[in-house]
Amino acid sequence: MNGWILAAVLVLVTGVGATLWGVAGGPLRRRATAQNLCTALACPVLLLLAQGYGRPAYVDLALVLAVLGPVGTLVFARLLADELADDPPHARGPTWTAAALGAAVVGAVAVATGPGRALVKLLVIGVLLVGGNLIASRALAGGMQEGRGD
Amino acid sequence: MTETVIVVALLLVAVAATAAVAVRDPVRQSLVLAVLGVVLAVLFTVLQAPDVGLSQLAVGSALTPLLLLLTVRKAKRRGRRAERGRSAGGDGP
Amino acid sequence: MRLWLVAVGGAGLAALLVAACLRLPGFGGDRHPYGDRAVEAALSRHTANTVSSVTFDQRAFDTLGEMSILFAAVLGSVVLLRQTRDEHRARPEPAAVSRPVRRYALLVLPVALLTGLYVIAHGQVSPGGGFQGGVVAATALHLLYLGADYRALERLRPLAPYEAADALAASSYLVTGLAALLAGSAFLANTLLPYGTFNTLASAGTVPLLNAAIGMEVACAVVVLLAGFLDQAVEIVDEGEHDEHAEHDGGGKTGGNAADGGDHDDSGKRGK
Repeated sequence: MNGWILAAVLVLVTGVGATLWGVAGGPLRRRATAQNLCTALACPVLLLLAQGYGRPAYVDLALVLAVLGPVGTLVFARLLADELADDPPHARGPTWTAAALGAAVVGAVAVATGPGRALVKLLVIGVLLVGGNLIASRALAGGMQEGRGD
Repeated sequence: MTETVIVVALLLVAVAATAAVAVRDPVRQSLVLAVLGVVLAVLFTVLQAPDVGLSQLAVGSALTPLLLLLTVRKAKRRGRRAERGRSAGGDGP
Repeated sequence: MRLWLVAVGGAGLAALLVAACLRLPGFGGDRHPYGDRAVEAALSRHTANTVSSVTFDQRAFDTLGEMSILFAAVLGSVVLLRQTRDEHRARPEPAAVSRPVRRYALLVLPVALLTGLYVIAHGQVSPGGGFQGGVVAATALHLLYLGADYRALERLRPLAPYEAADALAASSYLVTGLAALLAGSAFLANTLLPYGTFNTLASAGTVPLLNAAIGMEVACAVVVLLAGFLDQAVEIVDEGEHDEHAEHDGGGKTGGNAADGGDHDDSGKRGK
């Protein structure tokens, strides 16, 4: 019944739905990119839901996803390095869009939370989310190994 | 409104789970499985079960892909060796 | 015949499921006979997170069973994934990971470890607990493999202490339960410690203790499990796996069981 949950539904349908479509078919590079974007978009959804339900404790889910989501993508980048090297994914546009969305959601929730310890936690989540996903997408694009990246 | 979120999350889980079954190659399947894990975590959150969602995120986002891909790597290496060893074998993993 | 059996069994199961679904209370209804009692019991023991109260207090015995399952599963995989006689270890070649990824891994490792400990420690207050936090902490250690290489991980992760800590944590769960028994109440009853102040870290009696035991058990179990998988995928190679001459290992040695699949050859060879 509030704007936060509506925003979460919007991101869920357009963003996470699109990554689902991306991961379900096509070449490996498309699927790997979609997996990375999925965690980058689901984290803001969890933040919006925590705010929408008025339960600050739910923010822990976003924290765990912000920490482990990029780690999961690094797992794929590391163990599929040979397959991805032949055909590296380049998804600069979607990656930066997802990063901007994550930053915007963290900012909006931070403004609604106000100063305090919860704000520090939110900012940590924001830094981990945006930084982690940018690094992970770079690792997917061939930046995992020395000398192979840009 | 809350029902809308639940319906959307349920639909996404249904689509992701179907895709995970439909994909045959284990490497690609592990990518779909990672996405399915995240969508499931959202569904659990929407159903007000954050403890379960947290378990799903902890296990599904990095641990399961790592275990799957390590297994695939080992099996592929053995399969390649078996192929090299015998011309008439045809029993790859 | 077999198809008929499956069809009959499936039809019976479907009929029972439909019958059960028809009697379920409506979705999102306001009648929760079990939930109301669980919340009441949790509040009476000053546990803010009812789920933690159910898993570590009201149903602590079930959690003991779950922990034993994980313990047994890890034990089994350690036995299965050990180095067999016809395998040897090859030193993994060092991987050259690019600088941003390495920096990210080394930066996030302590943060992830801290997140895991935070989730374990706040199990009685907010969503989370031993299992979730333990998995996060164990995954954090493996950033060393992702951000550097397997040798770096091995150097910072001697396996023996983790195996010992796994067993120690499992037995400390049992000891906490037995202590309640010795103190004059039931096995694993939450009567040992004062219940403390509601919604603080020092609340809920023995729930934090059991939470910590499970967290340590799960973290060590996951580390040991992943070590088995990593050893197999990175270090342990079959005899002749790096041989250029393919005929060499396809000859007399594996010739005996080549018919039933050369990739399961360890089962055939152990008998010799």
